Amino acid sequence: MSDNIIAVMIGVSTALGAFGLFALIWGVKTGQFDDVEKFLDGAKFDGEEELQDAIMMEKKKEEALKRKKEREKNYRPAD
Amino acid sequence: MNKIACSHCKLEFDESVMIKKEREGETLYFCCKGCEGVYELLNSKNLDSFYEKLGNNKLEPVNVNFDDLERFDAEGFYKKYVKTTKEGFNEINLIIEGIHCSACVWLNEKVLHQTPGVVEATINYSNNKAKVIWDGDEIKLSKIIETIRAIGYNAYPYDPAVQEEKAVKLRNEYYTRILVAVFATMNIMWIAIAEYAGYFTGMEASKKHILNIAEFALATPTLFYSGWIFFRGAYYGIKNRFINMDFLVSTGALLAYIYSIWAMVTHKGEVYFDSVTMIITFVLVGKYLEILSKRQAVDTLDRIMGSTPTELMVVSKEGKKLVPIENVEAGSTVELKPGDKVAIDGVLKHGSASFDLSALTGESEPVLKKPGDEILSGSIVLDSNVEYITTKRANESLLFTINELLSDAVTKKPKIEQLANTVSGYFSVTILAIAIATFLGWYFIGGVGFERSLIISISVIVIACPCALGLATPMATLIGISRLAKDGIIFKEANRLETMAKATVLALDKTGTITEGRPKVAAFKEFESYDKSLLYTLAKLSKHPISKGIAQFLKEREESLQEMEVKESKELRAKGVMAEIGKHKVLGGNLELLKEFGVKFDYQSENSIYAFAVDGKVLAVFELRDSIKEGAKEFVNAIKKLGIKVVMLTGDKEEVAKNIAAEVGIDEVKSQLLPQDKAEIIEQYHKEGEIVVMAGDGINDSIALAKSDIAIAMGSGADVALEVSDVVLLNGSLKSLKEAFILSRKVFKTIKENLGLSVLYNSITIPLAVAGFVTPLVAALSMSLSSLIVVGNSFRIFRFKT
Repeated sequence: MSDNIIAVMIGVSTALGAFGLFALIWGVKTGQFDDVEKFLDGAKFDGEEELQDAIMMEKKKEEALKRKKEREKNYRPAD
Repeated sequence: MNKIACSHCKLEFDESVMIKKEREGETLYFCCKGCEGVYELLNSKNLDSFYEKLGNNKLEPVNVNFDDLERFDAEGFYKKYVKTTKEGFNEINLIIEGIHCSACVWLNEKVLHQTPGVVEATINYSNNKAKVIWDGDEIKLSKIIETIRAIGYNAYPYDPAVQEEKAVKLRNEYYTRILVAVFATMNIMWIAIAEYAGYFTGMEASKKHILNIAEFALATPTLFYSGWIFFRGAYYGIKNRFINMDFLVSTGALLAYIYSIWAMVTHKGEVYFDSVTMIITFVLVGKYLEILSKRQAVDTLDRIMGSTPTELMVVSKEGKKLVPIENVEAGSTVELKPGDKVAIDGVLKHGSASFDLSALTGESEPVLKKPGDEILSGSIVLDSNVEYITTKRANESLLFTINELLSDAVTKKPKIEQLANTVSGYFSVTILAIAIATFLGWYFIGGVGFERSLIISISVIVIACPCALGLATPMATLIGISRLAKDGIIFKEANRLETMAKATVLALDKTGTITEGRPKVAAFKEFESYDKSLLYTLAKLSKHPISKGIAQFLKEREESLQEMEVKESKELRAKGVMAEIGKHKVLGGNLELLKEFGVKFDYQSENSIYAFAVDGKVLAVFELRDSIKEGAKEFVNAIKKLGIKVVMLTGDKEEVAKNIAAEVGIDEVKSQLLPQDKAEIIEQYHKEGEIVVMAGDGINDSIALAKSDIAIAMGSGADVALEVSDVVLLNGSLKSLKEAFILSRKVFKTIKENLGLSVLYNSITIPLAVAGFVTPLVAALSMSLSSLIVVGNSFRIFRFKT
């Protein structure tokens, strides 16, 4: 085996492993494993409806922020 | 009659009492209006898939109460619990009551998501805590709480303790560092195998160089990211003029690392990157286990303070007004409604009512208070409206004081760790000195050159490196703890085992610890024959322990008992029950009850009395006594044999306490104690240099529990008692308490053996390393071997029989 092949193989396999490692760390950091039971039950409540729910919440938050900004813009202190 | 399950809560009731309803060709049954309302609401919102998700789980019948909603919008409440997020939304932490399964979590989140104005809602299933973020301009908090209540749950706020957040953060940080370290170690291992194989069979220098670089790439993040904790620890140690284990680990690893880089770059000698990662990973995992075993913050404390009102109804000349609790001055008149929790100590002014003091005294019997009587915060008004005058401010009141004491107890509790650190500090300094001396000796006197001298001194550091010594204690305690947990004895903190093993005094609470806490009939007299079912029905009407004892007694002796129809019934607190059953007017209770209804009867006994009268005539009288737990006497004997002094602390009357103490063989009794008195007695023992173990079950014990060196909660006790305790006995039996004592001593003995073994190991290997017989690699291997010996010795605890 040539040196280059060894180097590439070690490099690629370690990088693949590192990719998995970073995904796991990301999961830990964003609190996805904080609630053991919910995490295990997650599979039960994982459907189209839940996805739509998540999107709806994001939209709702955006809209609420927008409305809030508008209110602040239009706000005139009483004098 | 057949039983039918309620369509909402799934609890089963007789068909006759259910509300029947036709809906889309289906017949629905509801146990109450509350359940019906929730069912309708879920259907109208298209959330009926909840019932599919619910599966076979059962809920609690819905009991909706919207009366106190305005308190959630009060200013004082907002200041205390509501935070503002970066974006300007409001945020609150809630505890949701009534969550039984993941379907409940789903429903709550779903409903909150559908509520306009709610921006985020996440519920943690494990501890029922929820975080809700909402836009304060669009919806009020009271509306959100109302929504949760409308679907049959209840929510109240809590202050997320700072320590809890910190604990979670720390755990996650360690977890990430360990993940990196373990990943690097696993990968470096197979590269190292190739290197070793090449070392013995020959390998081209260029291939070896590639492997070296790969090892270097893996070892670097391990040393500097995962091992950062040790560098930090070493830095703080040196700053405080203190050389600790962290310093030894970091110097050992860093020296090996730097030398390996030098070897890699110059192509001279072997690299030791594998040793670097292994050292860091092993010791880091050991440290993580320590962190895990450290106590977590207290959910129950949040629960107690959460149910305390934030505003009180203050009565003044101008009328009634809600005032934030912090602003209520001593001497104000406050109105209380049934169900209210008293927040400030005071004296009753107007009206009389029964108070539930169980949170403070542990006694389940309500106490009747008349004008002029003292009212303590933490008690709950049970039956009528009263007015009282406060004598203190909120932050001087009993409830607040108890809370403070408990938080104190949770945050500080060091002692033995200090000692362990000092010892390992001296050890580290010695090893470091030996290593330097070895290097200088070989370099100048031995004359073997820089590389060889450095390798030998690194070997000294690595071989002495904490593992065996560091593992000696945690390994034995961990195995001890899992062994104890298997027998239903939970130690909340690992190092408590050592304290437990050294204990000299055992303080016991009476009710629920030595006695059952459930009065049983000890003697009875029947004056005339009577219908036993009548008495059974009467006894079933009340949930008081005495009534329960009577019902239990009848159930054991009689075969055909039937509950009869009750026309009218009234429970008189602390006295008994009066009822109209069939054509008879029936009384059941103590002598005071008879007196109140004009029945003449006289009876003397040291036990609690339950008299049964029909139509003004006493037919039977029962004496009830709280029985002593099975095996209490043997337990006290066994503990005394271990050389531990046994003391009984109780709030009960002196004679009762003395009788029970004599029966189980306890010589020292302290009776008629308030919660603070118990704590003072523990303090007294501390001053005499004793190590005190305290076993109890009530909130009344919690201050004393917090003060003691080892606090033991007996099974089903109050939640707060569980939280301050170091040891929880799940089955509450005295046998497991005895086992806890014996096993903790065994564990402590094993720790000493382990320490002895590792010292022996070090005293053999360090001279060998100094003499230059050991390479760093062999040093790392033999270090693992010594760890294995320690682990093996610790595993013997598993097979130990008590």
